[in-house]
Amino acid sequence: MTLTRVLLELDRVDMFFGGVQAIRDMSFTIMEGELAGIIGPNGAGKTTVFNVVSGVYSPTAGSIWFREQDITPLKAYQVNRLGIARTFQNLRLFSRSSALENVMTAAQNRYRYSFRENLRGFLSPSYRPDPDYHYSFIEALSHMGRWAAREKHIRAKSMEFLERVGLANRARQAAGTLPYGMQRRLEIARALALDPKLLLLDEPAAGMNPEEVSALNGLITGIHRDFKLTTLVIEHHMDMIMEICPHIICMNFGAKIAEGTPDQIRSDPEVLSAYLGDEGAEA
Amino acid sequence: MGNAAQFTEFSTLFQQVVNGLSLGSVYALIAVGYSLVYSILSFSNFAHGGFLVVGGYICYGLFTGFELNVFSRHLLTVPAGSVWLAGLGALGGAGIVAVLTERLAYKPIRERTSMTLYLLIASMGVSIIIENIFVIAVGGRFRALPQSMFPSGLYNLGWGVTASSSDVLSLTCAVLFLGGLQFFLTQTRWGLAIRAAACDLRTAGLMGVNVSLLIAIVFFAAGLLAAVGGVFLSYRYTLYPQMGGITTKAFVAAVIGGLGSLPGAIVGSLILGLAEMLTTGYVSSQMRDLVVYSLLVLMLLVKPAGFFGKPVSDKI
Amino acid sequence: MRKSLLGNAALVILGLFLALLPLTGYQEGIVVLLCINCVAAMGVSLLTGFTGIFTLGHAAYMALGAYTAAIMTARWGVHWLPSIVAGGVVAVAVAWLIGMPTLRLTGDYYAIASIGLGEAIRLILENWQSFTRGARGFPGIASYASRGVAAALFTVLGIAMFNLIGSRLGRELKASRDDPAAASLMGFNTTASRMKALLISAFYCGISGALLAGYMTFIQPSMFDMMKSTELTAVVVFGGLGSMSGTLLGAAIITLAMELFRNASGIVPYIPSFISPKWTGVLVDFLTNLSQYRMLLYGLLLVGVMVLLPEGMQGLWSFARKIFSWFFPDTGRPDPEKEGLR
Repeated sequence: MTLTRVLLELDRVDMFFGGVQAIRDMSFTIMEGELAGIIGPNGAGKTTVFNVVSGVYSPTAGSIWFREQDITPLKAYQVNRLGIARTFQNLRLFSRSSALENVMTAAQNRYRYSFRENLRGFLSPSYRPDPDYHYSFIEALSHMGRWAAREKHIRAKSMEFLERVGLANRARQAAGTLPYGMQRRLEIARALALDPKLLLLDEPAAGMNPEEVSALNGLITGIHRDFKLTTLVIEHHMDMIMEICPHIICMNFGAKIAEGTPDQIRSDPEVLSAYLGDEGAEA
Repeated sequence: MGNAAQFTEFSTLFQQVVNGLSLGSVYALIAVGYSLVYSILSFSNFAHGGFLVVGGYICYGLFTGFELNVFSRHLLTVPAGSVWLAGLGALGGAGIVAVLTERLAYKPIRERTSMTLYLLIASMGVSIIIENIFVIAVGGRFRALPQSMFPSGLYNLGWGVTASSSDVLSLTCAVLFLGGLQFFLTQTRWGLAIRAAACDLRTAGLMGVNVSLLIAIVFFAAGLLAAVGGVFLSYRYTLYPQMGGITTKAFVAAVIGGLGSLPGAIVGSLILGLAEMLTTGYVSSQMRDLVVYSLLVLMLLVKPAGFFGKPVSDKI
Repeated sequence: MRKSLLGNAALVILGLFLALLPLTGYQEGIVVLLCINCVAAMGVSLLTGFTGIFTLGHAAYMALGAYTAAIMTARWGVHWLPSIVAGGVVAVAVAWLIGMPTLRLTGDYYAIASIGLGEAIRLILENWQSFTRGARGFPGIASYASRGVAAALFTVLGIAMFNLIGSRLGRELKASRDDPAAASLMGFNTTASRMKALLISAFYCGISGALLAGYMTFIQPSMFDMMKSTELTAVVVFGGLGSMSGTLLGAAIITLAMELFRNASGIVPYIPSFISPKWTGVLVDFLTNLSQYRMLLYGLLLVGVMVLLPEGMQGLWSFARKIFSWFFPDTGRPDPEKEGLR
């Protein structure tokens, strides 16, 4: 895999909530095809970084670039449509819908027409691309035309992702009734179904036992390899990130304190004092 | 001549402002209670108007003594009482009805789901139940609290502007009760707990606040304030089972001020009262409701979170 | 895929059944009313049940549809079919104006604005004498909403609604109902999703109102008051939030129940004689005043369903099982509700 293009770049991002500074002067770059991790103790501002990148908040200062486009002012759904998908630290599944329906809800959004495409398509219908999970409002009303084929396609595609995370036999079960570890994997399947260019995983191992964590490690590295998907993982358990991520950013009190390979992070004195020191003493 | 005309114009304006403030103060009593509940449970309690009606009827019943009419049989006769008894009964009674409403209708729903839609629908149901209990029990006709209830008379404010004693009384009571609420919220332990719960109810519960009791206190306060508004509305205008519909105006006032914000509710109410009275004075009284709703739409377009509202963001 | 075809066929059969069943004139009227109420209820169901937006003013959209169709047919001499469609379109246009400022926000903004909308529309209809003939009502509308027309529109709109919720839009609406934040992070513009639901529901209510005008041949602003809006919500809640077939069943039951209420005094001669005169008196009072209790019953229905049966009639089955398990506690069946929602 060639690491050539910059995919995501944060440039001196600050984020204030009232008087509290959650992120301070945060800058880093993620190259295309990377598997990177952000570590830091609880409350270091990791999730806030994700919220700023995915457009939940717009930063107080600084700018965020994704594929050479300034996404700082964009809303969450616009950022997502550019190709950034994420999971959530405290699960946000549609708990009353089935696992399959959760993934289908994402899969139908794999391609969204941009405003310009809609406009040009209106003037010359042949211009518009015809992604194979799209059908028109009239077709939805009448269930005629492309509806049947496209719905079938969305369903089949969604089943593929459920199979990938090992939930194919749970497809019909309501998402809220799945065991915790499965709900986490379902979130990953849902994010994958969006066909993202950048996947943000927010504490994917939270609440898992060691066996589940090692299975998850396999899943994340497998997804990264098979889909050639740039992935950014947040964890406060250092071991997991150290094991799978060649590129690690370490945060404390809202600021980046170190960045580099696992070996560099492990030997960084600031990381040791700020993070390992405390955690190590407790454990 | 020109001077005299200008003078009359000015005193008309001033008169409408006085009327508007007095009406706005009644709205404020209602809107603050509604906002208080909204700030804790983040749903619109449409039964709030019902508390107003309960207060009005208890006051009427205790003061004049009336016969409760069920299936056209007189089952219960209430003896006449004093102003103080009537007032206290109205405030306490409405407060208790509010607490009961929460316990019987909202609590089971709150404990089961976090979707506020269910609470909204249940509150709509409670509002209909209260209204129609009064329709059936005391009949739908309009009543007026006897004018002897409060001292009558006109106060001359100078420049030809007068304020009726009921105006002055309702303004004074509104200031007293809202001041009392402010004191309660800022100076007592429960007040602190309520303000904390307004930020985050669950966390307040985790910090050891008795959430169930806290919500009961909030509903009692909301019912009590609504009853004060209800008594003054039924004294100045009339008392009838659908009187609770006036809370719509208080809801609008709360939105204009910022949903869930108490100072916002007061400011919104005064603006609404002024707008209504100025429309009545200068355009026509039929237009006043249209002006109110246009104001609502305008505010939502220009400053959707209201004057004092915080922009709503979902915690992720 | 086959399932949806089956559903469409069932609706067509139901529509044919409603249109062709030999009935007396009075019964025919009930069928027309049933179709009208079902169309409006489907609209409200999409908004409240599937998108999670509470409304207290959907009767206003019915009023807009009714007056549009009435004025177009009676005053301008337009054919009834385009008039009915125009009724829906006018409702959609007004819904867009109201939705623009209110749906951008999370919170009860639309609910409060919907009360204002209902009141404002009623005020305008009552005071714009030259155009709407004011509070005394608009008489002399052609009786275009025959049983066939009502049943046909019900069938077409019903099929469209069921197909719609079985397509990508259905998933989109449910996503923005269950978790707007997660939905927007999946690429849904949730404001636009809510707007779509509102516009479609306003269209259905507008059509329903236009049909009502053609059925009653006389309309009045007071026909579209808060009580009508409440009835629409009650129907949807009773049928079960998020269930379209439940909504249809709820609309049918409530429409028929209301019809029974209106004729309840007819039961008086059949009160058995062993009941003491005092209680007979109470019963007669109750039956003759039943319409007075109609609103009280709505209120009790709304609260009761929310507290006891949040799934509406769908939940009736699990409710019955719960009651059963109180008496026979060792059925050993896991409670899906408890497991699912915790």
